[in-house]
Amino acid sequence: MPATAEISETLIREYINRAVTDVFKTMLGREPSFSAQAGLAGDAPSPTSESARPQVVGTVGFIGDINGLIYLHLDVGFARLCTCHLLGMSEAELDEAGDEVINDAIGELTNMTVGGFKNGLCDAGYPCKLTIPSILRGSNFSIEPISDAIRHIYYFDCAEHRVVADILMKADDSA
Amino acid sequence: MRYKVLTVDDSKTVRIIVKKAFKSFDCEILEAGNGVEGLAVAAKEMPDLILLDVTMPVMDGVEMLTKLKSDSALKGIPVIMLTAEGGRDNVLKIAKIGVRDYLVKPFKEEVLVEKCGRVIDLKPLSDAPSKTKSIFDPADILVVEDKPAIVQQIQDGLKHTPWKVRGASTQGEAIDACSKSPPDVVVVSLSLPEESAFTLFRLIRTNVKTKYTPVFALVVKTETTQQQQAQTLGFTSIITKPIDAGELESKIAKAMNLDTSQRYYAMEQDCLVMRLPENCSPAVLAEVANYLKPKFTEAVDAGFSKIVIDIHQIRSLHMGVIKLLMQAMQTCRDLALNFGLVGNPHIISECKGFEDTRSWTFYESIEEAKSSVGKSSSAQLAGVS
Repeated sequence: MPATAEISETLIREYINRAVTDVFKTMLGREPSFSAQAGLAGDAPSPTSESARPQVVGTVGFIGDINGLIYLHLDVGFARLCTCHLLGMSEAELDEAGDEVINDAIGELTNMTVGGFKNGLCDAGYPCKLTIPSILRGSNFSIEPISDAIRHIYYFDCAEHRVVADILMKADDSA
Repeated sequence: MRYKVLTVDDSKTVRIIVKKAFKSFDCEILEAGNGVEGLAVAAKEMPDLILLDVTMPVMDGVEMLTKLKSDSALKGIPVIMLTAEGGRDNVLKIAKIGVRDYLVKPFKEEVLVEKCGRVIDLKPLSDAPSKTKSIFDPADILVVEDKPAIVQQIQDGLKHTPWKVRGASTQGEAIDACSKSPPDVVVVSLSLPEESAFTLFRLIRTNVKTKYTPVFALVVKTETTQQQQAQTLGFTSIITKPIDAGELESKIAKAMNLDTSQRYYAMEQDCLVMRLPENCSPAVLAEVANYLKPKFTEAVDAGFSKIVIDIHQIRSLHMGVIKLLMQAMQTCRDLALNFGLVGNPHIISECKGFEDTRSWTFYESIEEAKSSVGKSSSAQLAGVS
């Protein structure tokens, strides 16, 4: 049976919930709570398109027996807060350091989160490896997956902020 | 020796977190953004430890590790993996190449430091390395004892000091207290249930933040077996019950390497006052004698020409006190310092009973001594007439 089809939504939710919780609790001392989920196919609206607030979106992929990528959406204000906490910086120091520092910090948070998710898949018998993180910035943009991608969007509330994990998994092909 | 730790990670964030984690330890953090840079820095700097990520551009961590372990000059450098790559099979595969430990991200800084502390002997950086701490500086004493009365007794016995004495009644509480805020000294009761005092001692010694913290064993005087066990294990010192607060204070001061001279010596106006306390135990006399020459020399160096030796607080004269006073007077003569003795009626009368002290003369108060010593050539020898 093809790998992506074998993995239940319950398992995916469990892995992403555990990964987001571990990362935010360990690295930021904040405990996010699972809030909602949306979409099981490629027709779900992109989480960023619903928010007018500027976003910082980290992306890390996983490739191997199972392929996909995860976008982690944070609004800019929360991304700044997370960066300050991670690096022990004040807001003023962060202003001086510039957006590159925020991008790197959110890239690393995404890397850790996707790492946690992917390690769950590996241990469940679907070996795969992480890709290098990349960052998207902007507001009112929409991520359109390819038509046969399987998409799961999970919303987490974290101290008055929202974190969105947008999981896109490539449908199994026989190739 | 200052250790070098090389962090190889493409994320600047992780490298900053690593630097932050080690900022209170005496080590240098070197950085590299990928495996190629990592190998170059390793070859040039020969670090004592490498923290290595897996997923990196140019050359990943697995390739760097493989190259490192096949290089005869570099293969001995211990490597700890610090990576989000944590799947069982991948970890096993990497472990086989040869790593000392494996830490999966996300990670707590304390855990990273603790794991590194098992590989290199991390020493905390002193806040003020050039300034010796004095007996009048604050210190944090943790007493691990399940009997609140004993904790209270220690708090009462040390209440005249600027030290904060806090209690913990179990091993768990003590570990929490040590990790939240590492104390300056830990006093552990050996009567804690199930030999947990010894387990606690081992845990304190394996934690990088407390591995050099003095740990005292608190034990009933007659429990010699437990005392021997504590000594064998490496406890800094033994404090016996019933507790002698003075002895405890001295031992804490010694363990913390505190400058206790200010207890006995003070520069006041134009002279140095040497003051003996009420209870001149052998430990106290040894402490005073230890500082005697350096303090007198310091006084001369600072331009002082007179010394007031104040013994009015002491209860009785014994050979230890007499020897110390004779040493002080001789040092004054050697340094051409004027000096005067201040005593109480009981001590003055006791002095008349000894051959060596019969001729000593005393001022009645420190003020009188301060104003009279050195005024005339006859007064110069006020103490010995």
